[in-house]
Amino acid sequence: MNVKATIDRIDVRRFRFWFQLFAFAFLVYGGWLAVDLGNSLPTFACGYNRKGTAGVCYLLPLQHQLAQPWSQLFSKEGLAVLGGFALFLLWFLVLNKAWCGFICPLGTLQDWITGLRKRFGLRYSSYSDEQFAKLTWIKYGLLLVVIFVPLLIGGHFLTHDWGTAYCQLCPARMIIPLFNGDFSQWKIDFSSTGRMVLTALGMFIAGLFLAGSFLKKRFFCFFCPMSAFHYIFAKLSLFKLKKEGSKCTVCGDCYRVCDLQIKPIADDVISQDILKDDCILCMKCVAACPEQGALRVDILGKTVFESTKDGFAKRMGMEDKQ
Amino acid sequence: MSAIPEHEIESGVQRHARHQGMEAGGVLDQVERGFAGNPKAMQYFYDLFRDVYCEGVKPHPDKQTIGTMCVQIPDEIIHAAGGVPVRMCNGFYTDEELGSEFMPAKSCSLVKASLGMLKSQTNPYSAGIQTIVNPTTCDQKKKAAGMMREMGYDVYDMELPPVKESEEGREYWRRSVRKFTQHIGKLTGKKVTRRNLKQTIQQVGRAQLAYHRLNELRKHTPIPILGKDIFMVTNAYFFDDLARWTRATEALCAEIEARVAQGYNAAGRRSPRIVFTGSPPVFPNLKLPLMIEQADGVIVADETCSSNRLLNDMVSVDEWFMYDMVDAVADRYLKSCTCPIFTMNDDRIRRLIELYRTFNADGIIYQAFAGCSVYEMEQRSVAKAMEKEGIPMLYIETDYSPSHAGQLSTRVEAFIESLKSRRRQML
Repeated sequence: MNVKATIDRIDVRRFRFWFQLFAFAFLVYGGWLAVDLGNSLPTFACGYNRKGTAGVCYLLPLQHQLAQPWSQLFSKEGLAVLGGFALFLLWFLVLNKAWCGFICPLGTLQDWITGLRKRFGLRYSSYSDEQFAKLTWIKYGLLLVVIFVPLLIGGHFLTHDWGTAYCQLCPARMIIPLFNGDFSQWKIDFSSTGRMVLTALGMFIAGLFLAGSFLKKRFFCFFCPMSAFHYIFAKLSLFKLKKEGSKCTVCGDCYRVCDLQIKPIADDVISQDILKDDCILCMKCVAACPEQGALRVDILGKTVFESTKDGFAKRMGMEDKQ
Repeated sequence: MSAIPEHEIESGVQRHARHQGMEAGGVLDQVERGFAGNPKAMQYFYDLFRDVYCEGVKPHPDKQTIGTMCVQIPDEIIHAAGGVPVRMCNGFYTDEELGSEFMPAKSCSLVKASLGMLKSQTNPYSAGIQTIVNPTTCDQKKKAAGMMREMGYDVYDMELPPVKESEEGREYWRRSVRKFTQHIGKLTGKKVTRRNLKQTIQQVGRAQLAYHRLNELRKHTPIPILGKDIFMVTNAYFFDDLARWTRATEALCAEIEARVAQGYNAAGRRSPRIVFTGSPPVFPNLKLPLMIEQADGVIVADETCSSNRLLNDMVSVDEWFMYDMVDAVADRYLKSCTCPIFTMNDDRIRRLIELYRTFNADGIIYQAFAGCSVYEMEQRSVAKAMEKEGIPMLYIETDYSPSHAGQLSTRVEAFIESLKSRRRQML
């Protein structure tokens, strides 16, 4: 059997589990081994996990940089912002949203919580079409928080108490440091109104994160501003999720395994580039597709993983069933 | 003067049974002896039909058989409850005559024949069936439920939505399937559990894989197997033992693969390749498929609920627990179904175009049973789409009666000749 056929038969679930475990350990504890991937990472390698983190999530420095006084930001010094952004883009373009499905520590954590739910044999929840349509905008709202709150600080419309506003809301700030025994983020900061509002909300969101991801697969990813930020540049990536509409029977197998409930993955038979804003490129859809070549992952125009009847049957345990 | 020998006058029921046997035997003879070079592995299927329809051997004598009326009734769940699903869609002209008392004159042959079979009870195929699961597909099947109830059958109405694209439709159908899962367990006395449902999902999946393997081989030129044999294989899936059917089909695949390696041609040198669609050919009503292949056409693919649609789409489970498995089974039977009872038929049109292309076909033959209004109504949109694509299509409205065979075969032959000359012009 050739290499391609072997890859197409891969047990994506298991591969992802081990890859995610490795990535989690690397990003959350890599700092102890003096690993530093810089501070433009397109994933939640949380900067609040000071000692352990092997790099820093780009949203933290971005908010810092955008909070400079406007006189600085819109001068030559402001060009530094572009430098950080270029690095972020470079990281992102290589893997596209696979950063979410394979690397993000917060994403991995949600998958582990899903695993816990499965231990109890409990059903997952899902959104109705209407709920989905409404909630899907939240991540763009949070992206506006990431960009405009710092700008307002730079323009002196808000005080520095509102600095790194998104980070104060982000569950990663509270949860990731726990893995290094750091509980210091679990408090409400009463030093100012801004701090108090943000940290209280942050506490609430962290609780919501834990409860939500127990009930719903990848609960938080649906609201993630990083995911929204990714999507703006996703079309430029070298890493693509593609669909061959003519081979699709619209059976919905891809949609039904999708953690993010992305319906067009099944229903859209026109688009070639099928990556949607909520996608985390986990490739579960490709693995669940029984039609030869209907879904595939391309890197630099070369197919690296493709749906096959054979692979589908292997993964579903149908192949050797008597 | 010698004594008059004991002579018993045949009863109506006996006569019906005899006519049925004659009808089945006649078609089997055509299928088996009318063509040269049958695959050896097909013998299993020929014998199976002969045993059941001509010799009166009852399938599954020691198991509880559950009658199903349409392709949407989930086999996986019936098997998991220890039952055997047997499809009640019937193809006998003799039964159609009997069943016509229930339905208006201009209604579907298949529904009339199914009612006739259930009424006469002479068909060993349906012997022992007490429960019939009837999905709310077309109006005729829906109304047939009441008549089956009147005959004394235990009919379970399984509610199917008329729209398959919406989440509301999907949820509605999922609820139907969940309810059915509960119901069937009570009926057979064996609860559907996580373990046995997983097993039957995989077993049915394995059978589907065997079908896919066989179907893929039909993409080859020259064609290694005739369409009439494929219809026999898929029709056998209606009632055969699942594991035995899978083994027999896998054996057939192995033989056909060997044929492909040798470059064997099961059809003529220039036989046009046909995609068959529309109202389902059900044994012994293989009238049109046989006519096509007798006229030097060869059916290389089909889009019907007695064949491809029955086995094409497979269950995909994310979490192997009851809550996800039952829903996964439900999804398989709704979303990809190209039954014309749904509001939209885009999927069916796309499927036909894809089959035409990938199976390297020359044309499409569309069968509509007179009175099968949904297929009759879809004809216009399908014909339009095929014209736009430049795909030749022959639309044939027919029923189970053998009376207008001459007229029909003239049309089929003319179409096949036109495909041949079309291909010559294109070269």
